[in-house]
Amino acid sequence: MRELRIAAVADIHLGEDLRGHYRKKIEGIERRADVLLVGGDLTRHGTIPEAQVVAEELSGLPIPVVAVLGNHDYHSDRNEEIIDLLRDAGITVLDDEGAVVPIDGVRLGVAGGKGFGGGFAGKCASEFGEPETKAFVRHTKEIAERWRRALKELDADHKIVLSHYSPVKDTLMGEPPEIYPFLGSYMLAEAADAEGADLFIHGHAHAGTEKGVTPGGIRVRNVALPVIKHAYTVYCLNGDHC
Amino acid sequence: METPHYVAARVQRALAEDERTTELGIRVDVRGEEVYLRGQVSCDERRHQIENVAREAAPGLRVHNELTLVEVREPGEEEHL
Repeated sequence: MRELRIAAVADIHLGEDLRGHYRKKIEGIERRADVLLVGGDLTRHGTIPEAQVVAEELSGLPIPVVAVLGNHDYHSDRNEEIIDLLRDAGITVLDDEGAVVPIDGVRLGVAGGKGFGGGFAGKCASEFGEPETKAFVRHTKEIAERWRRALKELDADHKIVLSHYSPVKDTLMGEPPEIYPFLGSYMLAEAADAEGADLFIHGHAHAGTEKGVTPGGIRVRNVALPVIKHAYTVYCLNGDHC
Repeated sequence: METPHYVAARVQRALAEDERTTELGIRVDVRGEEVYLRGQVSCDERRHQIENVAREAAPGLRVHNELTLVEVREPGEEEHL
């Protein structure tokens, strides 16, 4: 089986003021990668005009583009419309579901969505007490359950989880520990570890670090633009040479 | 004089919630009458907007804009997993 070259980035935060800038940086991406994964926070305020800029910057590439939304993309309560707009532009948008991307006979399965917070084992919120606290924790729990099902149902040669929020603390190093519960949840890692995956891609933690691993041994990469400082990073699966 | 701790919290909140900025990752430190803004943003216009919103949230204080621009470089070496 041939190797797969996965380009990944998150937190591109596009808007009118950045129109055309990101596109210039990804021209020729097909020579370096087979697919582009975008881990949320595509916009700043989650508005339709911003999403139109995202669609222009990411559509019409010679390789498939798979994306999820981030918390910024929910800010104006237009998340459903943003998803529709991006899908109309030919971008595969995962909203707590999976998709198989065929690449030269190799089936790449990608599952995920925005994800959410709650914290990490031993230092996390529980579904207990006030309704607001319970709703916060339940939201992540339900997302993790949907991802687990999506991963299980994926019929693919390789599986990747694409998220905005982090599944582990490793890739948050550099962020203040007090805000870890707002940056991710161990439940996202637990879902991936239960069903297995080759890689877990996320963003959200601008001051974090790139590399980590789940308790079950899945490699985690934080590809937030301020972390990777490149237009995208390429990860090669199943091969010594890209 | 208002407690610097609360001024910093108010500025940080304004930067997150003001529609002109919506920046969650800016570090705000207040020492006496000086406000220091640190972090990374993607363009010069955003850097100025953040300074403007911080000034409005901390009237009478001197704002030091120490934000840096994220330089998006061409893709580098790939990693083999």
